[in-house]
Amino acid sequence: MKNNLENTIKIFHGPQHPGITGNMSVELDLLGETIKRAQTHVGYLHRGFEKLIERRTVVQAFTIVCRICVPEPDPNEENFARAVENLTGLEISEKAKYIRTMVLEMQRLATMFLWMGGQAGSIGLGLIPQWSVCDRDYMLDRFEELTGGRVYHMYAFPGGVRRDLPEGFLERLSDLLDYYEKRIIVYNNTFFDNVIFRKRAIGVGVVNRDDVLKNAYVGQTMRGCGIKKDVRKDMPYLMYDKLDFDIPIQQDGDVYARAIVRRDEMLQSIRILRQIIKQMPKEGEILQKIPKHRKFKLPSDDTYVQTESARGAMSYYMAGDGSEKIRRMQVRGPSLVHAYTLLEKLLVNTELADVAMTMNSLGICPPEIER
Amino acid sequence: MAIDIKGVLSPLSAIGTLFEHPKTLTYPQAKKDIPVGYRGFHINNLETCIGCASCEEICMNEAIDMIHPDIEYNPKNTSGCVPRIDYGRCCWCSLCTDVCPPSSLKLDNICTHAECDPDNFLYMPKNIKNIGEDVS
Repeated sequence: MKNNLENTIKIFHGPQHPGITGNMSVELDLLGETIKRAQTHVGYLHRGFEKLIERRTVVQAFTIVCRICVPEPDPNEENFARAVENLTGLEISEKAKYIRTMVLEMQRLATMFLWMGGQAGSIGLGLIPQWSVCDRDYMLDRFEELTGGRVYHMYAFPGGVRRDLPEGFLERLSDLLDYYEKRIIVYNNTFFDNVIFRKRAIGVGVVNRDDVLKNAYVGQTMRGCGIKKDVRKDMPYLMYDKLDFDIPIQQDGDVYARAIVRRDEMLQSIRILRQIIKQMPKEGEILQKIPKHRKFKLPSDDTYVQTESARGAMSYYMAGDGSEKIRRMQVRGPSLVHAYTLLEKLLVNTELADVAMTMNSLGICPPEIER
Repeated sequence: MAIDIKGVLSPLSAIGTLFEHPKTLTYPQAKKDIPVGYRGFHINNLETCIGCASCEEICMNEAIDMIHPDIEYNPKNTSGCVPRIDYGRCCWCSLCTDVCPPSSLKLDNICTHAECDPDNFLYMPKNIKNIGEDVS
């Protein structure tokens, strides 16, 4: 398609901009305030996770995967652990499965609060980020006592989890969920129903349903167009087949629809966590010892696993070659397709002020693009 | 065009929070309680450390060096070396404590370290003789 770039000026909407979701940039051709062409540039955060993992033993590689996406490390840990378990035939106990499911849902809530801060901040609602980051911190406090780390938990290990639940943890988590339920009402009043957000977000960044199916967009981008798909329902893992929850959808496909889907998913996460708190087994082995811990060998086989992260389906391909190192690991997160095929297209004919808002709504995480 | 009355008025409910107590801590007057299991600095029981270098071997960041300590150590420590951690490299994954055969190397929940001299980030774990119930 030929772009009319006559009389346009070029702006580098780069990592220095507070609205950008990390170390990436978008090169914009502007006619006045209107974007005529957008081109994504990545490469500011290249750490080569996949290659790093190939050079380390299975146990050592476990500590790297959580860094693939800083706001939500746990789906990466879960994928890695499950891929190793699939390859080696390790069976984990029911309690470990419940704990892992709980950690994933806790992480989903924490990520959503962080997203809410970014989304509101991108349109100048400065109060919401202050609140939502504070609320996220309460969840990080729970992570801190459960895993020993606030952001990088390094908790889901092949064979189970590394620590048991601290005493009284589930009660404290339950109290936090009570608090979150009240807070979501406050966010509804101040952010989701806010006329400023509605006017800015409705009709902007509209994703076409056919494009979703053609390009395999995932997460809220997909569910915001009315497609009811979720890895937790379609290919249940851990304890999701024993938990009762809905998949929220919206029909409009714009930034506002994606925001509403996220808000409803937060409520569903609270619902799931409440069930887990009730069903959590009191007894059970939390970590099955893997044989020859340091010299643990993967068989010559490959596997493909998927986890529903807070931004969409996160997939890992892992292959072993009979040695103690991983032969190949490939990460397929939502960020790559969203940042390239989708963002570049969505930004055309929108305003300069909408760039950060659109980007935030797609759940783009640059380290995951440059894995 | 109809005015979104609810959308205009409902955000004003935020004014109510002006009368709430601030949620932030006035550091350093008020400090956050750090949970017992927090992955902070290393501690090592030199009476039980056998100098096997399992911690050095497992560390993916090569943050651990085995060095001769200046103080008395376990007579069964045949290598005569104990771990020293480079906190410029450590990622606090605690794999080193997982593989420690005598469980002498542990993580404390203390996590504050401010230094001007970069060499001071080569950290010699504190020698705690009775590591046990107070540290997870």
